[in-house]
Amino acid sequence: MSTGQTPKQIGSLSFGLMDPEEYREMSATKVITADTYDDDGFPIDMGLMDPRLGVIDPGLECKTCGKHSGSCNGHFGHIELAAPVIHVGFQKLIRRLLRGTCRECSRLLLTEEEADEFRDRLDKTRSLGEDLGDVTKAAIRRARKASNCPHCGETQYDIQHEKPTTYYEVQDVLSAEYSERIAAAMEGRPVGDEEEGEVDREPMGPMELAEETGIDSSRIQEILSSEFRPTEEDRESLEQALDVDLTEEDMNKLMASDIRDWFEDIPDRDIETLGIDADKSRPEWIILTVLPVPPVTARPSITLDNGQRSEDDLTHKLVDIIRINQRFMENREAGAPQLIIEDLWELLQYHVTTFMDNEISGTPPARHRSGRPLKTLSQRLKGKEGRFRGSLSGKRVNFSARTVISPDPTLSLNEVGVPDRVASEMTQTMNVNARNLQDARRYVANGPETHPGANYVRRPDGRRLKVTEKNCEELAEKVDPGWEVSRHLIDGDVVIFNRQPSLHRMSIMAHEVVVMPYKTFRLNTVVCPPYNADFDGDEMNMHALQNEEARAEARVLMRVQEQILSPRFGENIIGAIQDHISGMYLLTHDNPQFNETQALDLLRATSVEGLPEPDGTDDDGIDYWTGRSVFSELLPDDLNMEFEGTLGEPVVIEDGQLVEGTIAEDEVGEFGGEIVDTVTKVYGNTRSRVFINEVATLAMRSIMHFGISVGIDDESVDSEAEDRIQEAIDSAYERVQELIETYETGELESLPGRTTDETLEMKVMQTLGRARDSAGDIADERLDEDNPAVVMARSGARASMLNLTQMSACVGQQAVRGERINRGYEDRTLSHYKKNDLSADAHGFVESSYRQGLNPQEFFFHAMGGREGLVDTAVRTSKSGYLQRRLINALSELESQYDGTVRDTSDTVVQFEFGEDGTSTTQVAHDEENPIEVEDIAARVMNAEFADEAERESFLKGDTLQTNLSEHQDTWRTGGAVPEVESDD
Amino acid sequence: MVDVSQHELVPEHSVVSDSELDDVLDEYDIERTDLPKIKRTDAAVPDDAEVGDVLEIVRDSRTTDRAVVYRLVIQ
Ligand SMILES: [Mg+2]
Ligand SMILES: [Zn+2]
Ligand SMILES: [Zn+2]
Repeated sequence: MSTGQTPKQIGSLSFGLMDPEEYREMSATKVITADTYDDDGFPIDMGLMDPRLGVIDPGLECKTCGKHSGSCNGHFGHIELAAPVIHVGFQKLIRRLLRGTCRECSRLLLTEEEADEFRDRLDKTRSLGEDLGDVTKAAIRRARKASNCPHCGETQYDIQHEKPTTYYEVQDVLSAEYSERIAAAMEGRPVGDEEEGEVDREPMGPMELAEETGIDSSRIQEILSSEFRPTEEDRESLEQALDVDLTEEDMNKLMASDIRDWFEDIPDRDIETLGIDADKSRPEWIILTVLPVPPVTARPSITLDNGQRSEDDLTHKLVDIIRINQRFMENREAGAPQLIIEDLWELLQYHVTTFMDNEISGTPPARHRSGRPLKTLSQRLKGKEGRFRGSLSGKRVNFSARTVISPDPTLSLNEVGVPDRVASEMTQTMNVNARNLQDARRYVANGPETHPGANYVRRPDGRRLKVTEKNCEELAEKVDPGWEVSRHLIDGDVVIFNRQPSLHRMSIMAHEVVVMPYKTFRLNTVVCPPYNADFDGDEMNMHALQNEEARAEARVLMRVQEQILSPRFGENIIGAIQDHISGMYLLTHDNPQFNETQALDLLRATSVEGLPEPDGTDDDGIDYWTGRSVFSELLPDDLNMEFEGTLGEPVVIEDGQLVEGTIAEDEVGEFGGEIVDTVTKVYGNTRSRVFINEVATLAMRSIMHFGISVGIDDESVDSEAEDRIQEAIDSAYERVQELIETYETGELESLPGRTTDETLEMKVMQTLGRARDSAGDIADERLDEDNPAVVMARSGARASMLNLTQMSACVGQQAVRGERINRGYEDRTLSHYKKNDLSADAHGFVESSYRQGLNPQEFFFHAMGGREGLVDTAVRTSKSGYLQRRLINALSELESQYDGTVRDTSDTVVQFEFGEDGTSTTQVAHDEENPIEVEDIAARVMNAEFADEAERESFLKGDTLQTNLSEHQDTWRTGGAVPEVESDD
Repeated sequence: MVDVSQHELVPEHSVVSDSELDDVLDEYDIERTDLPKIKRTDAAVPDDAEVGDVLEIVRDSRTTDRAVVYRLVIQ
């Protein structure tokens, strides 16, 4: 560490409230003036910029610790608040405590037994590591039910919370208009806001009333004339006798000081029942009497160009607080009326509230003079750009670059093309020694602008010098062993390459640098699938590694070739894509023949150095090689495979020779191409990298040899086929019409579990679907095997036969939410149709093919279906992104331990063995036909490991001799206690 | 009523005896509460299991033949 201090381990962290006394103790100064600087620009003593709060101006000395800016972290001050205020962060806790404790004796409104029960439940939840909130919430809920205190008997009132910081006690008190109400009730009139005739009440005379209630009749007269307020008892009996409500709700506001007094009396034991450690957090500390003032280093002021100082938002807020605080004190001392005091109190509360959080609903945010809301404490922490997500979890880093990507099929999949201007900006540190001295001098001599150059050097005495065009020659002479040279990136350096969103391990891989001209990062197209990259403007990030350990780790663990097998499904995620697959298909499908020049041209970019024996001679007596034997040159010599390939035909490889079959997607493709997968698992990642690179280059040569291009005529069919397609569609229309007629006559039999409406819809969809398929089949027959679009679809390179038939025969039914299109106007989809028209074309059946073009209605329906697709993907990506974030946050701390278990940071076991089998998906291959034979594997490992039976036995017995023991071993074992030694005297 | 414990996809759940449990906890150097949990109301939990018991769950595994997992019964 640069601080030169020994690292220390954190034993534990505890979160709690802070004692106001502690605020005062740690405070460097009390802050009493709202002013910051005097006329000469010096900070005012006991002001918000008091030099004891830390220094920000370079050169000045901190008055508290004596350090200079940079090394002084700053010191807190404090403001003595004129009256207690509520801390907004604790609004809910305050509400809960008020509701759960007695208004008189402040004890928790639970009997001893209930409290014991909740304490037990707390202990249990704590040991299970679950959320304590559930238990404490349940305790408060129970306590709130008590209408009287179980300890002192006091009646409890409901507490109402008006957000954010006002609390009321709701009491039922005698209504102010009690006499009117009683009089009305005695005459049998409706009382208060009762409706006429709502309550039916017999009129009652004063004598009768006196008799019923037992109240003296003269007293009743007094009550009726408002001369005497009825007592609680009298009120109740009057209410009962007259069937009337004489009370009204009275909201009694609880001032912060009342709440503080209330909380002070809550006993420690009751606090603990609510899951709060009373030693660390007393509830009265929630109500602030002292406000800590953050050090100036946390709210530095900036000097604008015109020399004016601009203060931080927090400082502005603190100024407001101090001003109001002072006015409050002055007014109170001057004996101002209660109303004014209360107003000022509320204003102080507002400023303290917005100082902590300026985005509270129901409170207007405090604003800057310009109208911009102030960024106060909570706003610094919250959200994407906040301290947690923005500054701590994610930071901007040095030695990184970002630019557009573009393809380069001549690179190896392990490589990345780095623009020279990036390479000369990002550096690697060379420790100069006798062996690399010449190189180091050459780099320095090249200067910072010529490519393999250097930007900085560090002399053995630690001084860092910038290499410039002027001093480079001179500096190069001086470079000697012991110096450090920051040289440019050169070919072969390892860098980390990344494309967001980084959804899986393969989104960040290590590549080897190839320095290139121009401005884009270049990559081999076979790494597009793991990054999910394309070249329509995608940008990627590159990070240059800065120490040997990182470089070694990246090379061994992160290089692209190490990621060929995906941990998700255990098969290769890197392989041939798109044109590679079309190319391989063209090369191997009909097993075409090539003469020597052609064959050599196909293999020219691979490591194959000579052609094998020719496969035969053609009619002109010229040697030829077949496509399959050209491809076989790329295979390992002893590879043997047999499986069903992409076309459903067998693919046979014997001794590294493709004997039969076509090479396409299922053979060499990106997601589980059989040959790539097998080569990787049997011959290793390096051989597989070579294989994939060469398949890609061979395929490119091959596709260039044959040529592949698609035009609109490739999708047209002859007029005879067009007629047949029309026939198929027409007959489907007829059948749909028949279905509709049977439906309308009520003769349509409904399918089990369906209504007739649903049945009709299903049958219509079925009929039209079949019509599309048969139209497709007709078109399919007419499309030649060598039609380029067919080649792409059949080989699995891109598109499907369905896409092709939509182009050449019939687009088919458009659907929204899996149904025919039913929305739009009343009882019809468009105003072009009659109401309740159930026919195919009124509900989105597109009869045309894409090549013919769609009519306006068809086009509209097609757009409806298309839009649903777009909306779906948009919604899916945002939802899955959030889900991903939450999953990663939940799982990021899980770690597989040396004992094989997977645990979280609190040592809770999540899995007893990684994946419950302790195996890596990429290291294990099995399927229905080849199950894993654990016994066989163990035997094979044992046999390979031990020369003979005896050696094996001795290993299994486990009595290996330890040769690396210390002579002090025994003293360690007894935990340092030295065994007693007999004294010899 | 269907007894799910007899279903072929439900692995065998059995209560672990105290001595066996001590061995397990020793092996992993953990407390009982560090184990993964299972609710008492889970249909796969055997009837004689009580809250606080530990279950041994033996699953078939294609890769390791047998995968053994322990869970603490809660609630
Ligand atoms: Mg893109
Ligand atoms: Zn200081
Ligand atoms: Zn009480």
